[in-house]
Amino acid sequence: MHIEKIINPLLTLVLAPLLFGIINRTKAVFAGRTGQPLLQSYYDIWKLFCKGAVYSKTTSWIFRLGPIVGFAVVVAAATLMPLGGLPAIVAFDGDFILFAYLFGLMRFFTVLTALDTGSSFEGMGASREVMFSALAEPAFLVGLAAISKQTHSLSLTGMLAGPDTALWSQIGPALLLVAFSVFIVFLAENSRMPVDDPNTHLELTMIHEVMVLDNSGPDLGFITYAATIKMWLLGTVLVGILVPHNGNVWIDISTAVGAIFMLAVLVGVVESSMARLKLLHVPQFLLIANALSILALILVLR
Amino acid sequence: MIFMTNLVDTVIIFLILTNLMLLGSSRLRTCILVVAIQGILLGILAILLEDGSLGIHLILLSAAIFCLKGIIFPFLLIRTLRDLNVQHEVEPFVGYGTSLVLSPLVLVVCIWLGSQLSLPIGAASSLVVPVAFFTITCGLFLIVSRKKALTQVLGYLVLENGIYVFGASIATIQPVLVELGILLDAFVAVFVMGIAIYHINREFDHTDVDRLNKLKG
Amino acid sequence: MNPGILLWIILLLPVVGSGICQILRSPKNVMNFTCFGVAVIGILDIVTAGVVFSSNTISSCSEWLYMDALSAYHLIVMALVFCMSSLYGMRYFDKEINEGIFTLKSAKRYGILWFASLAAMTLILVSNNLGMMWVGMETTTLVTAFLICTRANKASIEGMWKYLIVCSVGIALAFMGTLFIAAATYKFQGSISGNGVLWTQLKMHAGLLDAKLAQIGFLFIFVGYGTKAGLAPMHTWLPDAHSQAPSPVSAVFSGFMLNAALYCIMRYTSLIKLVPGNENLSRDLFLFFGTLSIVVAAAFILSQHDLKRLLAYHSVEHLGIIAIGLGMGPLGIFAALFHTLNHSICKSLGFFCAGRLGQIYGSYDMRGMTGALRLSPLWGGGLLGSLLALIGIAPFALFMSELLIVKAAIATNSIWVLVVFLAGSCIIFAAALKHVINVVYGTPPVLDFKPRRSSIPDTGIVVFSLGVLLVLGLWMPNSLHEILYRAANIMEGIDAATTVCVK
Repeated sequence: MHIEKIINPLLTLVLAPLLFGIINRTKAVFAGRTGQPLLQSYYDIWKLFCKGAVYSKTTSWIFRLGPIVGFAVVVAAATLMPLGGLPAIVAFDGDFILFAYLFGLMRFFTVLTALDTGSSFEGMGASREVMFSALAEPAFLVGLAAISKQTHSLSLTGMLAGPDTALWSQIGPALLLVAFSVFIVFLAENSRMPVDDPNTHLELTMIHEVMVLDNSGPDLGFITYAATIKMWLLGTVLVGILVPHNGNVWIDISTAVGAIFMLAVLVGVVESSMARLKLLHVPQFLLIANALSILALILVLR
Repeated sequence: MIFMTNLVDTVIIFLILTNLMLLGSSRLRTCILVVAIQGILLGILAILLEDGSLGIHLILLSAAIFCLKGIIFPFLLIRTLRDLNVQHEVEPFVGYGTSLVLSPLVLVVCIWLGSQLSLPIGAASSLVVPVAFFTITCGLFLIVSRKKALTQVLGYLVLENGIYVFGASIATIQPVLVELGILLDAFVAVFVMGIAIYHINREFDHTDVDRLNKLKG
Repeated sequence: MNPGILLWIILLLPVVGSGICQILRSPKNVMNFTCFGVAVIGILDIVTAGVVFSSNTISSCSEWLYMDALSAYHLIVMALVFCMSSLYGMRYFDKEINEGIFTLKSAKRYGILWFASLAAMTLILVSNNLGMMWVGMETTTLVTAFLICTRANKASIEGMWKYLIVCSVGIALAFMGTLFIAAATYKFQGSISGNGVLWTQLKMHAGLLDAKLAQIGFLFIFVGYGTKAGLAPMHTWLPDAHSQAPSPVSAVFSGFMLNAALYCIMRYTSLIKLVPGNENLSRDLFLFFGTLSIVVAAAFILSQHDLKRLLAYHSVEHLGIIAIGLGMGPLGIFAALFHTLNHSICKSLGFFCAGRLGQIYGSYDMRGMTGALRLSPLWGGGLLGSLLALIGIAPFALFMSELLIVKAAIATNSIWVLVVFLAGSCIIFAAALKHVINVVYGTPPVLDFKPRRSSIPDTGIVVFSLGVLLVLGLWMPNSLHEILYRAANIMEGIDAATTVCVK
């Protein structure tokens, strides 16, 4: 049915900015404030698209290209992700590697635009981002490899949309380990605490925020929108590992969407309760994710 | 039976996780609590691995392990830690990140080793013997690569835990007296080491064992 | 009367003695009591050994306690060493007691730990259950740790910590070995029926042990107990611990504790020799670690300048010699066991003299020690005699046992081992002789006090030790020959008679 094919990316595009709202609202509740409205991110993105952009004289065409490429890439990645029990639009063997590398492409262009401005501030953020991603990516891929070994499928659709109540009884502990590892990668890739503080603009804490410091107008709108979609997609991976399937399409989708919202609440809780790690300890944190993924792979392989 | 196997598997995986936490953590108090958790897991494992009947002496033994390794040893060590005024381990010979990433590879080697030996193990789980070796290796690694005396004592406790898991898995019938004797020895060892650390601290004003290097040749 | 009761007595009396030490009132009383108590226990030990020799074995408590000729022989060695050390120790701490450094609390701690270590070592010798033997070995480590830092200074605490950690890890590995050997019994476990790993039972069914598991187990046992025995390369704790401990404790360490660890290995050797496919394993291990110990000891003796560390490295060397002897067939085992007795007596004497001389000179640094013979004829002469005996000068007994080992080496065609042994002995001969000549001869430095006259017990110790060594070097009494012969048979794993040619 047609609707089953497009409901997945449609939900992604429509609901992704809500995640930021949920996280901010959770943090506000923890702090005792009323906080921003839930739909604030939508207003922000709309406002940014209506504004004009200001470009620095030191930037080149890459600076204008970067945000667009980032957005395009993320929408392409959205076509690869299954949600609930529904298969993705595009599914082929090895598409999880494409998924990881699409994000790599996005990261590459973000780093390029940051370096393109010629500011040392952004260069610093770029170097930190690249190092942490270098540590986070193996964790992600090895974790997915563990799941792929057990589900005997090399496609994201097979891994995350297949029946997994049986999977839980077989390799329950390994799945938990992979989930924990992917959660750490989630926090790192989306620049959340304890890896990065999305609120402050201090040199001490910035990784992602600093790279987009010079973007404005529609560019910044694209970047913000792409960030929300990236968070949604990684959340889908996590939900696909953890949440069992029912069989009924609508129940599965609503469960999955609900689970992603719960994940956003969890991220909000984590952000409110943890302080940002010392920069020297962030690699150690990511290596924990790596170790857990390798451990899960070992448990599945033996 | 499948439930039992799963339960043993879960306990074993928690055991592996405690080893990883020990290798990656630099706060001494956390390390002591993790070793306490290991002791509790061992007590549970003692009952799970016995595939004969559950005699009263086995329950007593498990309770003894639970109390000693899960409660009394950490209590002794935390008391020692309080006298020492230290919070963190100094930078070890092999960094935390490196040891964390190396440890699953060590686990792979231990699994291979376990498959080479044709041990008369019970039907509980094929992971028990490799995890025993892994725990022993982690204990030895802690003793060798860490610089604080307290971490060396923790490494010794982990070593003893690993040897105990190995002993429990090879399905031999050790009389209760011997097991109790071994537990008593472990208790006296921790006690003695705690007092020794106190003396080291009093005499040297630090407990970095790699600075105890006056006796040479 | 059931002779088994004797085993209980010699095991429990030291514990009682330890308890009595708690209630004594002055340091002097404690030291006197250690001497008296150990003397009584020593006599009982020798009586027990006599009973064992006359009735071949005694056992008790459904065979958990058991003694045969091998353990009885070691019991005699232990009794000798402990009695001499206690007698010596009675006066050793006099100066510190007078100055108030050695308080009642330290004295009580010393006494309690002294008796406790005696109890633990007795447990090693009387237990048939290999698990209990391990418990005894581990207990000796823990109990003697604080004997090392009787005088708490930086060096002794460092030595104590190294000793504690290295030996604890070693003994933990030995426990792994015990578990492997226990696992290897799965073929006949039904008949053991929950009694644990009894040596006598294992001996009976040794042919049924799983070969690979027994091999791995023996390897762990060797490395684990070898750590406690001071075999290189696991000897790193030995120089520190032996040099920092007070002299009576050092004498007990070198004189018996190392041999106790080797005794544990010997028990397992008699089992492994009967396991098919592993007959040569023990021989290879003994020869390898023995030669390595001799080489390492030779290297370090060359550059020593601390008297007690020198004696400690001699211990490493002689344990290496005993080890290679144990790897060379029946004659070698006989010689090695004989060497055990000689080395224990000689090394104890060496530490006694070193201790007194250290007290007289104020430090153990040999570069500051000269003219010991003139300063104190008894202790200087004792040091000279013991070091000469240690390096193997005829006609002391050590020369005879080493000669027997050479004979055994030739008989079993272990030529390379022989070459290394002789080369190491030559190097040690030259180096130690240089050290001892510097210390003993020459003009003594001017000291601000005159050493007091040696008392009768001290003279007795020195004369007795040197005398025994001389006598044994020239003549082996038939009873000793018989005892060694029976002990060697047990180690060989045979009970029938084998011709062993001596002299």
